[in-house]
Amino acid sequence: MTRFKMIQNIISATSEIRSMKIFVGILLLASSFAAAQKEPPLPKDLPPYGPEKPLATPSVKSATLDNGLNLWLVSEPGFPKVALTVAVRGGLAADPANLPGLSELLSKTIDQGTRARSAKQIAQELQAAGGDLSASANKDSVDVSSVVLSSKLDAAIAVLADILQNASFPDAEVTLAKRNLTDSLEQQEAEPRFLASRARDKVLFTDHPYHVTSPTRDSIAAANSANLREVFAQRFRPDQVILVAVGDFHNDKVLATLKSAFGSWKAPAKAPAAAIPAPPVTVDHAVYIVPRPGSVQTTIELATIGPKLGDPDYEVTQVANAIYGGAFSSRLTSNIREDKGYTYSPYSFLASYLKAREMISHADVRNEVTSPTLNEIEYELNRVATTTPTEEELSKAKRYLVGLEALRLQDRGSLANRLATLWVAGLPPEQIGVSGKKVSAATAAEVDAVGQKYFPAHRTAIIAVGEEKVVRDALSPFGLPFHTVQ
Amino acid sequence: MKLIVVKFCFSFLVAAAALSYPSYAEQWKAPTSMKKLPNGLIVVVSEDHSAPTFGLCISYGIGFRLEPEGRTGFAHLFEHMMFEGTPNAPKGVLDRVIEGGGGNNNGDTRYDHTEYIETAPISTLDPVLWIEADRLKTLDFSVKNLENQRNVVEEEVRVNVLNRPYGLFFAIDLPGKAFDTYPNAHNFYGDFHDLDAAKIEDVQKFYEQYYAPNNAVLAIVGDVQPEEIFAKVEKYFAAIPARSVPPRPKVDEPAQTAERRSAQTDKLAKVPALAVGYRMPPRHSPEALAAAVTGELLHNGQASRLYQALVKEKQVALSVDGGVNWPLGTPFEFNGPTLMTSFIVYPPNVTEDQLLAAFDANIRDLIDKGPSQQDVDRVVTKMRSDWYGNLENPIDRASALSHATLFDGNFDLVYQIPDDLAKVTAAQVRAFAAKYLVANNRTVINRVPAPKDRNQDATKQPGGAQ
Repeated sequence: MTRFKMIQNIISATSEIRSMKIFVGILLLASSFAAAQKEPPLPKDLPPYGPEKPLATPSVKSATLDNGLNLWLVSEPGFPKVALTVAVRGGLAADPANLPGLSELLSKTIDQGTRARSAKQIAQELQAAGGDLSASANKDSVDVSSVVLSSKLDAAIAVLADILQNASFPDAEVTLAKRNLTDSLEQQEAEPRFLASRARDKVLFTDHPYHVTSPTRDSIAAANSANLREVFAQRFRPDQVILVAVGDFHNDKVLATLKSAFGSWKAPAKAPAAAIPAPPVTVDHAVYIVPRPGSVQTTIELATIGPKLGDPDYEVTQVANAIYGGAFSSRLTSNIREDKGYTYSPYSFLASYLKAREMISHADVRNEVTSPTLNEIEYELNRVATTTPTEEELSKAKRYLVGLEALRLQDRGSLANRLATLWVAGLPPEQIGVSGKKVSAATAAEVDAVGQKYFPAHRTAIIAVGEEKVVRDALSPFGLPFHTVQ
Repeated sequence: MKLIVVKFCFSFLVAAAALSYPSYAEQWKAPTSMKKLPNGLIVVVSEDHSAPTFGLCISYGIGFRLEPEGRTGFAHLFEHMMFEGTPNAPKGVLDRVIEGGGGNNNGDTRYDHTEYIETAPISTLDPVLWIEADRLKTLDFSVKNLENQRNVVEEEVRVNVLNRPYGLFFAIDLPGKAFDTYPNAHNFYGDFHDLDAAKIEDVQKFYEQYYAPNNAVLAIVGDVQPEEIFAKVEKYFAAIPARSVPPRPKVDEPAQTAERRSAQTDKLAKVPALAVGYRMPPRHSPEALAAAVTGELLHNGQASRLYQALVKEKQVALSVDGGVNWPLGTPFEFNGPTLMTSFIVYPPNVTEDQLLAAFDANIRDLIDKGPSQQDVDRVVTKMRSDWYGNLENPIDRASALSHATLFDGNFDLVYQIPDDLAKVTAAQVRAFAAKYLVANNRTVINRVPAPKDRNQDATKQPGGAQ
């Protein structure tokens, strides 16, 4: 019942982009939206923006315990909550090849018992601290987080410390989690967005470990407590872990609490697992159909690889993306929602991993407009690749990204997660300010350059989740190869 | 013009009052003040100088419940029209200005209110106030834009209902079965027949009836000073005349006398699900707080009774969600009949009877033995934490302040809720459960995957019941 859902999913991506020839899309149908881009003047009595106040970057106190555990603390007194986020290096991409998605089972079972506490005790103790435990498996890390009342911080740290050092993966809990994960996989497979993202990563990353988004029925069936304990012992070692705390506490006091809770955690002598290589960049401009019988919409995604975090093009690509489809007033939304009414919530987003970044355009559209939607998305991608943004578009996109970052980082949980992600990528907290400056400094010429390099529609794979015949009939005029994926 | 001043000031900490309750250290309030303009617009301002940003929410006293018969889904369709421009600021200006100022905006329609929200760096406050005032003066009333947004809304219904497993049946179909009168029972997302029938004259009439300054509360939270904001709001809004708003009709329900059971099939879901809805006491009744706590005791997280009983011990469910006024709001923000809803997804090898027997056994146990006071205190701590979480970001706090003022004329309720919750006892929870969590006060819908062979006929209506 909301006007739109915003996907807030920005961060990093890949460098081995081959040089691109400039490609002007061969459009099947001329877009009626082409001329609509000269924006009308603003109302004459609209007041101007007021003076800018500097947006402060967070003040992070960092410490490393003797055992190598990394701590980043942000003291923000006043509001009575504290966000705790722990990130552990190694996630879905580090799972054993014969057990894809094992990290997800690990994230579902890590809070299901320790030597000292049962699953129920863990849940109740955290509830009594005002929190829940949230654990998730990403491609490069496993994250564990909780937001609690500041008056109960010590109790929450005690539970967290126990889980991180002593998770025991009791057989009965693992058996139940396996069964529930199998059934929820079944349930997820009914969701078009799940199907789209699973197919997308298979297509973009082929055999590289990044292609895994979730476990399979087989891998769930094959996994057991021993596998989980083994992975846990390998990855959950203090020198491969960051703990970020943001909120209402005094740094010295919380540091003392953390030292006493984590000080006896031993790092193994063995070196941690080696980093995975970057994925190859080979994307075929073809249609990959995920059949979904009875679907009343087609979910379309156009996906490709962009510059990863640390690449000089990283921030400028964010700016180009904000102009293209990363904001409500962007070209993509203006065209296929506000002008054509094809879709409720189209968007483009950049998904960042340690070794790659995905650039994704997404729209769920009624079956009848599947073909014109692909046409318009390709048109808008190629327009970014071949034309210069207006001055207003550029300044709007830059202010949007900088402002949004400030708004996001005033939320304790978002800031904690953001800092943990930077650490996993090997970057310091100051990166937040550095990125902001680069965004603000982006020029039209630079946006043009990344547009040419990363945005041509022919660089994308097209994922279409829907009624197979509808998709084939709608998209065959594009003359692209068809493949079926699951 | 002289402003009618209704002002409250609060300090950050109020310590003494809480000492008699369990160990709740936090007594958090932000300094907040309120004024009413002569045209009836109420303005609430809460200072928060932790970042140079603001959040704004303007709530109007109209939602699904009062949308006209034959126009299901109209309140929400109308919300979309509020973004389609005015004679002064054509379509597109609003998003250009707010996003170009580094901010975000959205709108949301619920049973008893419709809200418009923005958040941005403080430098964007003046243009945002201008835009909110501008769309309270008049709209574009463009037939073309109505056509466009009708399409967008129908796509929204497809993506959230028709093309999605379970199709929100626990939010749309359950009230439809549990209540008997149009305001509470109709499909708030809208039957396509009704959405298609909506005309620009309907948009105009709805706007004139309900979008009046005297039917709105504007709340602003952030790096602001109250006096400065009151002056700005007066500058932009004072000239908008008050209008007569239709008196609020009675929306009470005739009493429920027997359990209501029904079954549905779902052509997209792969595993079955059950929705259970108990009718709740009125929000201002003495039992309402116990209802809220019971809802969370049963549903809040892995420590909840239903999760522990159904997912962990009996292993007859995959997930449990729910609560009072769930999923369309908190137990504190509505103004008419509502349900305590449970939405339970369960494994295919479990039957509806097995699941419901386990569910009933847990409710029976709650009624027979009551919860321990320790259980209640723990859940209350979590609810206090969740409620503070709901006040953390300026845009969310603006929303909460605006709703409390709209429904009860008292923004301070937002800060009182944590303390009120702390007074709830185990005995009150037990008494509430014994009175309300009974079969003849509930509605149950079981929804199972459709047999594969009759799978091809796409669901035609929101809710998707066959």
